[in-house]
Amino acid sequence: MSGGKKRNFGQAFNHRVPVDPEKTWKILEDAIDEIYNQNVSSLSYADLHRNAYNMVLHNFGDKLYSGVASSITSHLKEIADSMEIVQGPMFLEKLIYKWTEHNKAVQLIRDILMYMERTYVKYTHKPSVHELGLNLWRDNVIYSEKIQTRLRDKFLELVHRERGGDVINRGLMRSLTKMLMDLCPSVYQENFEKPFLVESADFYRVESQQFIEHFDCGEYLKKAEKRLNEEIERVSNYLDVKTEAKIAIVVEKEMIESHVKRLVHMENSGLVSMIMDDDKHEDLSRMYTLFGKFPNGHTIIRDVMTSHIRETGKDLVTDQERLKDPVTFVQDLLNKKDRLDKIISLAFNNDKAFQSAINSSFKYFINLNPRLPEFISLFVDDKIRNGLKTDKEGDIETVFDKVMILFGYLEEKDIFEKYYKQHLARRLLLGKTFSEDADRSFIVKLKTECGHQFTSKLEGMLTDIKTSQHTMQRFYASMSGAQLTDCPTLSVQILTSGCWPIQSSPTCNLPLEILNVCDKFKKFYLGTHMGRKLTWQTHMGTAVLGATFGNVQKELIVSTYQMCILYLFNYVNRLSFKEIEYVTKIPSSDLKRCLQSLACVMGKNVLRKDPMSKDIGDDDSFYFNDKFTSKMYRVKIGTAVSEKESEQEKQETRLRVEEDRRHQIDSAIVRVMKSRRVLDYNGIVTEVTNLLQSRFLPNPIVIKKRIESLIEREFLERDKTDMRFYRYLA
Amino acid sequence: MGIQKDRVRFNVGGRVFETTATTLANSGRNSLFGAMFNENWDLQPNITTTEHFIDRNPDCFSVLLDLLRTGELYIPSNIPEKLLYREALFYGLLDHVRTAKWGPFDGNRLHLARSITGRAPGDGTAIRAGPDGGCCVAHGSMVHVYDWMLEEHPPITLDYQRVNDAIWVDSESIVISACERLGRDDGGMGLFSSSTGELRYKFHVSHENLVKSYTGGALSFNSDYKLFSSCKGRSNEYGVGVWDQVTGKQIDFFYEPQGWSLGDADKLQWLNGTNCLLVATLFPRKDNCYISLLDFRDKSMAWSWSDIGAPIADERRVRDAIAMEETNSICVVNEYEDLGFMDLRSNNGIVRWSSRSRLMKGKMPDEPCYPKLALHGGQLFSSMNDSVSVFCGPDWVLTSRLRNSHGGSICDFSIGGDRLFALHSDENVFDIWETRPLSII
Repeated sequence: MSGGKKRNFGQAFNHRVPVDPEKTWKILEDAIDEIYNQNVSSLSYADLHRNAYNMVLHNFGDKLYSGVASSITSHLKEIADSMEIVQGPMFLEKLIYKWTEHNKAVQLIRDILMYMERTYVKYTHKPSVHELGLNLWRDNVIYSEKIQTRLRDKFLELVHRERGGDVINRGLMRSLTKMLMDLCPSVYQENFEKPFLVESADFYRVESQQFIEHFDCGEYLKKAEKRLNEEIERVSNYLDVKTEAKIAIVVEKEMIESHVKRLVHMENSGLVSMIMDDDKHEDLSRMYTLFGKFPNGHTIIRDVMTSHIRETGKDLVTDQERLKDPVTFVQDLLNKKDRLDKIISLAFNNDKAFQSAINSSFKYFINLNPRLPEFISLFVDDKIRNGLKTDKEGDIETVFDKVMILFGYLEEKDIFEKYYKQHLARRLLLGKTFSEDADRSFIVKLKTECGHQFTSKLEGMLTDIKTSQHTMQRFYASMSGAQLTDCPTLSVQILTSGCWPIQSSPTCNLPLEILNVCDKFKKFYLGTHMGRKLTWQTHMGTAVLGATFGNVQKELIVSTYQMCILYLFNYVNRLSFKEIEYVTKIPSSDLKRCLQSLACVMGKNVLRKDPMSKDIGDDDSFYFNDKFTSKMYRVKIGTAVSEKESEQEKQETRLRVEEDRRHQIDSAIVRVMKSRRVLDYNGIVTEVTNLLQSRFLPNPIVIKKRIESLIEREFLERDKTDMRFYRYLA
Repeated sequence: MGIQKDRVRFNVGGRVFETTATTLANSGRNSLFGAMFNENWDLQPNITTTEHFIDRNPDCFSVLLDLLRTGELYIPSNIPEKLLYREALFYGLLDHVRTAKWGPFDGNRLHLARSITGRAPGDGTAIRAGPDGGCCVAHGSMVHVYDWMLEEHPPITLDYQRVNDAIWVDSESIVISACERLGRDDGGMGLFSSSTGELRYKFHVSHENLVKSYTGGALSFNSDYKLFSSCKGRSNEYGVGVWDQVTGKQIDFFYEPQGWSLGDADKLQWLNGTNCLLVATLFPRKDNCYISLLDFRDKSMAWSWSDIGAPIADERRVRDAIAMEETNSICVVNEYEDLGFMDLRSNNGIVRWSSRSRLMKGKMPDEPCYPKLALHGGQLFSSMNDSVSVFCGPDWVLTSRLRNSHGGSICDFSIGGDRLFALHSDENVFDIWETRPLSII
């Protein structure tokens, strides 16, 4: 060492130049050679650093920088040549080995050139020694003709083998990816990622074709999902993270997107059969996830599902067989809805778009059958009267909530209201309610859905019944025992007129004893409620009568009319139809029906008819049947009223609804015009529809007619200058 | 044994120093010692026996070795600072020297480190602190650049275009905005090397795919490498342009809305918390003041304030504005250094003026400099006449005042790289204020 220093000193002194660039560079160049030859121990770092420092200090930075670049280049060219003779599987290993060595060498060279990096490189904005090392490796090794394609093919071959199930050296693959990424992300993308994606697309195109021929839809999706997960795992094992999204797109495109139609419509295993099947939630969920990866995927599922629901729904609501049993029919609808809801929540991630697709489908087919409002009301009626039959149906509240959803789909909510009112009245008056709470709770739900106006009358009905009970208690409390002995027990339901769907009918002649107690009640009631009017609705109500047939005591449960008729037979044995009609003043059609159930029903015939026949004629006569027997002590005599409406009643209900609607449209038009003063026809239609759609969808033609009628009645007039506009007349 | 192995012996320019590898390890991998004792260089076997000869100044080595030993820099008076810097550069210890020279910035503990007199006469345009303690001074069509050693680098010359603003995007690059001269397609903005003064690239503005020449105004940038500048184009293309700082490509343009001012802005400030840009156009550049927060994501003005229509006495004219995100407010200052505050959460346009001083009114110098504001580490700074005031705490109480009697009024000041630079207007002098490093004893 000391000898060497002396010589250096002597040379510098002799030549009288501060730094000889050629000689200094030679020293550094030799050092770089030694570094690449793994011979670092022969070098003195301090000397080399000083030499490099001197060159920069004396403005030979350019020479130093370009010298280093060309020296590294020539070493890398050697390496590239040496790679050529490496055969077989060792190629990649060798390349990685050389790469590690090169990095180490560059690090050492940088140490020597530290001063150059801090000054020359910084001011000239040239690539640092580290970057230079990467760039030169890229250009001379990776991009050399002998290596570039070979590297890519090897890489792809290994991936292909792994897809086939072979175990490959993942550590090596990881190193290769890291090398390419270190060089520059674009080197990785151009040289590996792009060909990898193309190759993968080819691979999966072929594979998916084979799969689709051999497997059913569920099975296929399982395979596709597995492949997708494998690719994502591959990325995390040895590819760059950014490749994940790209390869996923390729797999999804080749395996799913290109086969979407075929998968969805696959016979016996496609979407429709999955929906029909109760235990295919997992497959559906898979389909949802996989199809969600590309645009329109979900739309395709949704469209197929929607048309399936519409078709089956349409079949359901138009099936004449099913329409015979409204309760089961509505239950079927609820079940159908339940099943679909379950699919949405279990398989479709509660997707809002799917929910609204179901809603619109239901809305579509439910309104295809005009009798649905009646049926839904009947269903509720059944549930309230009979309670729930099994635990399986859950809480009655839950059932109501579901019914409310169906109700929400109805366009003609006012028709539902009509029926509901009738059914409620029947329940309340005949005391058939299973629980009053159930009725109240359903009305609360209606109120939240449709507003206060919709339910005010219904609530009034419930209140009437409550008040009636109180009134009856007070009535009996106010009467002293003596006043009422021997009187039949009376129970009165005071109904506010207008609230109830009852056609007032003339009062019939009540038996004297009844009339007596009724008058007492009337006096009591009007005494406490000034200014009210009380009318007896004798076509409603029931009575319990004691009767003796031969020696046998029986109790008969009959309607008020029937009671009146039977009372007559306390005094006479035989009466003709005309006589009965005359005495009781019961309307003849009702009377006929009453007599029919008293005389013509087997097992209930407390009267006999002469002549014996099914129908009641004006000239028939009736006599007491003292031979009547029954196993029961209490005999209930029904009245021939059908639960479902007869055709004629249906027409009547329709007519009443139409009538109501006319009034509502009138008032809606007036309300709109009052605030707008002037509006054209289309404007009126839009606004009126908005106002009324929570009850029903008004027909534009009807609106037009109502406008004309309002013009006649001088609520509106046509604008004099522009005939398209209507003007409100205050 | 352990201690013995650790020992290292140097002969520096004839003087022998002994130290330990542990001490040298403080110099880090990117220094001469870091490389020298790295295992790759196979020095381990003879590390204790050999004497390492270094042909350098022993006095400086001694100072630097002490720096490595104690972390403190003590320069004896007989060693010129420049010589020490040069030696430190050789060993790769320049960063160590810089961090040891002055401590973390604190407005209340500043002392005047130096005053530098430039070549040009007074009336500088702006002074801007660099991220590593250097600075640049804009002056007409020139920008003089100083590194942290206050060594002057080749100046940036703009061929007679007036410089409007300058900003350091990193310690190696300065972006400069300049006026466009009529009839020539120049002006605009360019990125220059701070060490050589060379133009690296220019930032262009295109409107409807046509490159247009423009005047670049106030500058700002954010941590996403986006660069913002107020722009005035020839054909009324006024607004705020956004460029990618790395590629130099224009990526966005916020056109000035009718009846508002953006293109003439005096000040831009990027707000990290709200992802908005504060744009302030102030009197007397315009007759009225316009302050707004721009949200580039939906091209909307998230907040705005203007004194249009308000009958304003002269002492209520806003001369500078700065947003303070911690307190969701904007601080403004009038020409008598009264501070005013506005709430960023409401758009009611109320300015709460602190009635601190009206005393100044009579005592204004003949050529006053308008006050400027700066914010650093929760401290508010405002310049007025020949001093800089420091305000602290939630109520912004005046806690310190920096004054150097030399050079007249302060026309601009800037904080960065843990230093405060104040530029005087009467003479071309700027002061460097530093915080002393924390002493261990």
